[in-house]
Amino acid sequence: MNILVCMKQILDPEIPARDFRIDRAKREAERGSAALVANIFCENALETALQFREAHGGKITALTCGGDKAEDVLRKALALKADEAVLIESGAAQPDPLFVAKTLAVAIRKLGAIDIVLVGREAGDWGAGQTGGLLAEELGVPCLSFAESFEPGSEPGTVRVKRQTDNGWELIEAIAPLVVTITNHEHNVPRIPKTRDVMQSYRKPLTKWNLADLGIDPRTANSYYEVAELYIPRKETSCEFIAGDSLEAKIDAFAKRVTEIMHSI
Amino acid sequence: MNDPHLATREVFWNINHAWLMYVLLVPTLAVAGYGFYLRVRIWRRGLSETESRWDRPGERILLVLKHALLQLRLWRDLYPGVMHAMIFWGFVVLTIATTVVMIDYDFSIPIMRGYFYLVFQSFLTDVFGALAIVGIGLAVIRRLITRPKMLVYTREATIILLAIFAILFSGFLVEGWRIAATDDPWSAWSPVGYVFALVSARLMSVDAMRVAHATTWWTHLLLAFGFLALAPYTKMAHVITATLNIYTARLAPIGANLRKINFETQEKLGIQSLAGFSWKDLLDFDSCTECGRCTAVCPANSVGKQLSPRDIILDLQRLSRAKDADFSKSYLGATGALSADSMWECTTCAACVEACPVSIEQMPKIVDTRRYLVMEDAEYPETMQQALTSVETRGHPFRGTAFSRVDWARGLPIATMADARDAEVLLWVGCGGALVERNQQVVRALAQLLSKAGVKFAILGREEKCTGDPARRIGNEFLFQQLAQENIATLERYQVKKIVTSCPHCFNTFRNEYPQFGGRYEVYHHSEFLMKLVREGKLSAELPGDNKVTFHDPCYLGRHNGVYDDPRELLQVSIRSTPLEMAQSRNNSFCCGGGGGMSFIDEPPDKRVNQARARQVLETEADIVAVGCPFCMTMLEDGINACKGNRDTKVMDVAELLWRAQKNVEPLTAET
Amino acid sequence: MADVITFVWGQAGADRAARGLLGAGQRLAESLTGKLRVAILGKADDSVVSAFQTLADGVIVLEDELLSEYHPENYLAALIDVCKRHVPHVVLLGNDTYSQELAPRLAHRLGGSAAGDAVDVAMVDERVRVTRGVYGGKATAVIALARTPGVVWMRARAMAPAVDRAPGEVERVRLGIAPDKRVRVVSRNVEARSGARLEDARLIVSGGRGLGGPEPFKQLQALADAIGAQMAASRAACDAGWVPPSWQVGQTGKKVAPELYLAIAISGASQHIMGIADSKVICAINRDADAPIFKHCRFGLVEDYQKVVGPLIDKLSRQK
Repeated sequence: MNILVCMKQILDPEIPARDFRIDRAKREAERGSAALVANIFCENALETALQFREAHGGKITALTCGGDKAEDVLRKALALKADEAVLIESGAAQPDPLFVAKTLAVAIRKLGAIDIVLVGREAGDWGAGQTGGLLAEELGVPCLSFAESFEPGSEPGTVRVKRQTDNGWELIEAIAPLVVTITNHEHNVPRIPKTRDVMQSYRKPLTKWNLADLGIDPRTANSYYEVAELYIPRKETSCEFIAGDSLEAKIDAFAKRVTEIMHSI
Repeated sequence: MNDPHLATREVFWNINHAWLMYVLLVPTLAVAGYGFYLRVRIWRRGLSETESRWDRPGERILLVLKHALLQLRLWRDLYPGVMHAMIFWGFVVLTIATTVVMIDYDFSIPIMRGYFYLVFQSFLTDVFGALAIVGIGLAVIRRLITRPKMLVYTREATIILLAIFAILFSGFLVEGWRIAATDDPWSAWSPVGYVFALVSARLMSVDAMRVAHATTWWTHLLLAFGFLALAPYTKMAHVITATLNIYTARLAPIGANLRKINFETQEKLGIQSLAGFSWKDLLDFDSCTECGRCTAVCPANSVGKQLSPRDIILDLQRLSRAKDADFSKSYLGATGALSADSMWECTTCAACVEACPVSIEQMPKIVDTRRYLVMEDAEYPETMQQALTSVETRGHPFRGTAFSRVDWARGLPIATMADARDAEVLLWVGCGGALVERNQQVVRALAQLLSKAGVKFAILGREEKCTGDPARRIGNEFLFQQLAQENIATLERYQVKKIVTSCPHCFNTFRNEYPQFGGRYEVYHHSEFLMKLVREGKLSAELPGDNKVTFHDPCYLGRHNGVYDDPRELLQVSIRSTPLEMAQSRNNSFCCGGGGGMSFIDEPPDKRVNQARARQVLETEADIVAVGCPFCMTMLEDGINACKGNRDTKVMDVAELLWRAQKNVEPLTAET
Repeated sequence: MADVITFVWGQAGADRAARGLLGAGQRLAESLTGKLRVAILGKADDSVVSAFQTLADGVIVLEDELLSEYHPENYLAALIDVCKRHVPHVVLLGNDTYSQELAPRLAHRLGGSAAGDAVDVAMVDERVRVTRGVYGGKATAVIALARTPGVVWMRARAMAPAVDRAPGEVERVRLGIAPDKRVRVVSRNVEARSGARLEDARLIVSGGRGLGGPEPFKQLQALADAIGAQMAASRAACDAGWVPPSWQVGQTGKKVAPELYLAIAISGASQHIMGIADSKVICAINRDADAPIFKHCRFGLVEDYQKVVGPLIDKLSRQK
């Protein structure tokens, strides 16, 4: 089974709120001193792929579309023993999800013979949650979302996906090729690479394409939507810390507040 | 009248065929020699050491005198100290006495005469022999009646004690019968022998004594030679191995005890089989006398965890001595001393290393095993993984912190190295100091004290990255080296020569570990630096202080680097009274439980090292426990909060206590 | 004619989410001077249909047997068909997982643009503008959709609900969609849940990493039971396997809007706050006074939950 994992590099979602700054004119977040990390759901996707390959065999290609530092994400994927890695050097500042989906689709078709495309369910920065669905449409294949794992289906050429729903889960079978968006689960927590693999990842080959190689016009980067405004909202709450002479008094006061609210509903 | 100058005794009196002794010596020495050869053969299977273990012989001989001869570490507990000294010095004196006989008889140099014979050969030898028997008695009581947990209870150990007793006792029997049967004129000079003689004279005829004497003499010989022959196969080998181990001990402070891995050339990362150990490590295993002090002082073990440094060493010893031992086989077990679980309980406090009377280095072997688990196996506790992943991506282990590296300095006129032109000292804040709110107050106090004293200092601000201490202690040496190289490059860029830091872990890494990578600086812990300023008259306490303050020694400042006095002096200055000492303090201090990556672990509620230490703090009834480390601060605050009940004991840093003693200062809260 | 279509789930009926969605739809249709239609997906009995009638200008009931159970490709085909028939300017959906799955694909097929997790939607300069939280809730973005129709999935429960009006027409349609051959739903597991769904819950008790394991959640459940609340958890607790994934609240997880959200041993990372920002009152119990959760609380207690939960259950049970 040929598995392709799309991975996105984003600004560290855990930078402290006070270090997070916006350039209002450019309508983008400032890099500042923030680290760049792989999106966690993309890492969950890679972990799901690695577990599949361990159990059933297959080939894993990691694909990313981003700026000059995006290579780090692929090095990490190679350190986790992805078989191949492909970097699309995009330069586009704030591409919309359709632009990304189109770019990925062209690259995937160029790589040929992919059975299953794994995408994180959303990115930790913009969180649009659309790339998977739009990519499926671009490729003309089905899309199954919020999956935790997958395995070979009951017939050859099919895949069985376990995916989360609002109140449980579903098992869905689909004929490959297809796109699957991955969500986090206790069983797909990303593994840690072995040091030797990290050291060797720097020597492994990386395929690099740019938008021209793929025939993509960067001027269409916002033909689906654009960011009209970006700002940091003001916070108004101040917390009342329950005080008291003793622990019991404090718990009492806390319980009172809770009851007040319950009675006001 | 008998002339004392001619006093002596007849060697081999009443012994026929004494030449047999010399004959028997041959197989004795052969067996013993072979025993030693087996040991040496094991050591030779070890890898070479990266740093010399034979250099600076003067210092090494001094170590041997302190620890092999005077056995200073054994005196930490009075009972075993006295017990072992009696046995040891008895052995020494008796060995010298036997050598004297040999020199006199075999080499015909008449030294066993006169007052020397009377005072040394007769009197002192008797006294020390008797003391040795008392020592054995104390040992037997300890092993068979008191039965402290730290000992290893084997039949071999009991037999050794009984054998020594038998040798000593039979020696006195022989002496007693000789004195009685020959009517020795100098009998009074051998008080014990004299008593034995008196008793025998009442009970036996001279002929009977002669028979008994000869029989016992041969018995005594066989026992002694048997003991000598078999000694190298038992823990009695420690006579030689311990001395050798002490001689080849690490001369650098404990804080420098981790080996540097060369990633270009090293094939296997970390150690999980005997093949990964050096000859010195294998000698370490062989030197162990099963005394159990390391496990007795281990904080993890004392709260009921599995970790037992003694059993790690003894299990590895056993594996190395097994017949046809396969050195390439993994020693990691699912449970027990050599399990991964017990390796993850270590705080790297090095109490085990400090306590070992024969200079075994237990702690580095635990870190070496962690290196394998982390770098080769990639299997280690999840919270530690998250901390290291955060170090890798963000440059600090405190995932989820709401602070940046410069928030603590709000409102203070502190420049960064990038802006300051004339900074002479780098104030290295550390991740704990910058990103954990309680510790920010410590750094603020320190910075304000430095300003008050007119020190020209600056900080790195956002350019600071974790020194790599948690990475190194958890076992990711690769990440550690990356961080070291990055930090050293930054320090190089700013031509940093002097560093002051309030974190002993950073302090230790700069002082002892960065030099391995080309970074050499004058490094001070803030307690040292502040004390220096006090001595120079630039700082003092302007207000009266608290009376009941105790000091908790940070492991990485105290045991790892030998800094015990400056923080105490600083406290004394700040509070204007002598700080209380806890029962376990200075090099015998009890870890807060935060080192070695353990502050990132959720310990089981009934097995928390920090709570055990908190109880020790509360026992002093101090109002304040002073600390000098951000980890100690967090761990002790948590521990004391859990255990203090109605008491109002506070944890404060030594810098905070000095700052509090300044006039006209703002309260210690960071404006965040 | 610039119309608005909202898609709702028959099984949920005219619940708070649907009413919020229709509220947004009403206001949007007004600003477009167009009609608001609501299409019901899945089985809907008559009472549900009549409930929706007074909230929109038209109700579309889909009668295809194929649509009685959710199937991603079949439902997508149905949505496309409905949109092709009525050519809306804007399509609105809720932020349940099925809607999120379908919305981008629907937009693509119709040649439009989608955006989601909206807390507001409005027409500005003839474009659909969607307001949503980004960067884990640290920032707010206003997205201008470039193509038509705009497909928007919304935090419907936080929207002002629809007002009752004169009943609209009911249109019963059999779309005649061909069943998809590529995808097959093998099985579906619905967790037996006592009480309301998390998104509809008015009272929520939630636990986080600080609880350290699955056992303490049982105590929290007792607390929830004492006040009639639903249980939820932070992502850390779900990732650790202590509670089912359906309990997860946060940026990825449920978005809840209760009257009271009680966070116990939850640090309050912005990703979690994103899931609870619509709560009326947030309060917390956490032994760390610096935990970010407190910055979002109306009131809080800085204590070890182990010391508090037991006595709190007693007091709350008595005060009932």
